[in-house]
Amino acid sequence: MPGEQIWLLAGLALYAAAAVVAVVNAVRGRRRYGGAMALVSAALAAHGAAIALRWFRLDHGPYVNLFEILSSNVFTLHASVLIACIALPAIRPSLSTVLPVLQVLVVWLLVTPPVDGAAPITYQTMWLAVHVWLGKIFLGCVVVAVGVGLVVLLRDLRSSRLFPGMPNNAALDELMYRLVFVGFVFESLMLVAGAIWAQDAWGRYWAWDPLETWAFVTWLAVVAYLHLRVARRPPPAVGAALVIAIFAVAFSTFFGMPFVSTAPHKGAI
Amino acid sequence: MICAAHSIARRLASLWLTLVCVATAAAVALTGHFANASIGVWIAAPFGMLGLNLLAALAVTPKLRRQGGLLGFHLALAGLALLAAADQLISLSGHVEITEGAPFDARMVEAAAGPLHPWRLDRVRFVQAGFQIDYAPRMKRRDTRSTVLLPAGDGGWREVVVGDDNPVVVDDYRFYTSFNKGFAPVLTYTDRGGRAHTGSVHLPSYPLNYFNQGNEWALPDGTGSVKLWLHIPEPVYDPESFWQFDKPDDAVLVVIAGEDRHELRPGDSVAVNGGTLRYDALRGWMGYTIAYNPLTPWMLASVVIAVLCLAWHMAAKFKRVPWQTVGAKTERCDAG
Repeated sequence: MPGEQIWLLAGLALYAAAAVVAVVNAVRGRRRYGGAMALVSAALAAHGAAIALRWFRLDHGPYVNLFEILSSNVFTLHASVLIACIALPAIRPSLSTVLPVLQVLVVWLLVTPPVDGAAPITYQTMWLAVHVWLGKIFLGCVVVAVGVGLVVLLRDLRSSRLFPGMPNNAALDELMYRLVFVGFVFESLMLVAGAIWAQDAWGRYWAWDPLETWAFVTWLAVVAYLHLRVARRPPPAVGAALVIAIFAVAFSTFFGMPFVSTAPHKGAI
Repeated sequence: MICAAHSIARRLASLWLTLVCVATAAAVALTGHFANASIGVWIAAPFGMLGLNLLAALAVTPKLRRQGGLLGFHLALAGLALLAAADQLISLSGHVEITEGAPFDARMVEAAAGPLHPWRLDRVRFVQAGFQIDYAPRMKRRDTRSTVLLPAGDGGWREVVVGDDNPVVVDDYRFYTSFNKGFAPVLTYTDRGGRAHTGSVHLPSYPLNYFNQGNEWALPDGTGSVKLWLHIPEPVYDPESFWQFDKPDDAVLVVIAGEDRHELRPGDSVAVNGGTLRYDALRGWMGYTIAYNPLTPWMLASVVIAVLCLAWHMAAKFKRVPWQTVGAKTERCDAG
């Protein structure tokens, strides 16, 4: 238990340090991203160790209670950003926009008690793992798009000369669209996997409980954005605002609904 | 005639109608959420309209038909929307309690169903046998294994074990065990005319209502009712240990008839309202959730085809044009 906590605190401190380094470099106009990426890598290693130790101790993955869900999402969202920065070097300047957003989750995790919980019997299915991982990939894609979207919005609101190392806003708009599209594919498959799990666990594939309703609303929000993007092609700043709105809805669904719902599909509770 | 049909199809294929359907579905879902109301029938309308919208789009837009991925996506999505609408209209969700040794009785089902549900529950035949439920410390319910007997082709019965995630499926109705289960005293009341009536009384769910194991039984001849209370001197569980749901050996059935109070053990009788009430045995009852969604496999196939076709189409599209090059021409023009 203390070992887990030490690794966790080290990981969270390194995430925060990475965010600070990325913002300071951006403010000073330095085009250096290796430091922030190295810090995120170190944070992932330390945080990953904490998650693994807890997993071995409790004999279930990080998906039972609020602490575990927050912890695994902090890990996977930072990992998504790091993978995106490695695969798409052109978006590395967006580290200074996306990492501060993720620190909201880091602080939340820091103040959440690391209570132990037992996995319900209905969690003993491979569909849960499939459902959870598909959801994480979806949210990871959207978070990277949010980082890019914030760059577009900052350029639109302040100066088009901001983030000179990044492509123009039209290209970033296209990238956001593609990221959200890839996320949409995984989100759709996540809902399918969740429905299969729900059918096994509760005898129904869909029951319009609060979490399912908001997951559906999130899916519709993504559909509406993609449809609007194809049919009407709004300006990049509008597209960026819509992507951030999608993230807000998805964030509320993933992290809000399971903790305010009293319906049977309570997710984390 | 053809022109009129084409004109209707063009109107139905409107992109704005797609957005309206999506927005309406969201509005219905959120209204149901905030009003805490069932939305099954209401959500069927935007789903059905979306299906028609997509089929109309395929009919009037050659571009959608020329590309394999796009065609597959729209067909599968239209199918999914129409199947989802149909499912909301024919599905059923309900629950029932069955006493050990008793057959399933469709009249005891409490259910909510779509307006086009075929109502074939009365065809369902099975008999409840015994059940085991494992508990982990701190009253965490684990596996439930409930044995039911289904009619076999040779006139006999075959055993099927049902669980929370392992249903027995009869005539497309799926029965899953639920958290709901408890004790059921079996009573025989012999009225003044000498007619014997046997029935069971389901006490509240156990151990959820361990403090309140009482119920009332209306006497079958309509002359009154008796209050029943199952007194369990020692709990059948230790909340800090692993244990298995079981009937208590030392339980006493307290019968209150008017001002009289009687304590009965299995086999005991007592005079009530001019008749005789015999406490035959203590059995268990098992609660089941019932679901009817026969279109689920088709919906699953549709959604997987839709997602794969869309991914195929967009992957090819994205591959043709690198994202960094989008807007580069405009930028050069702006710079020039």
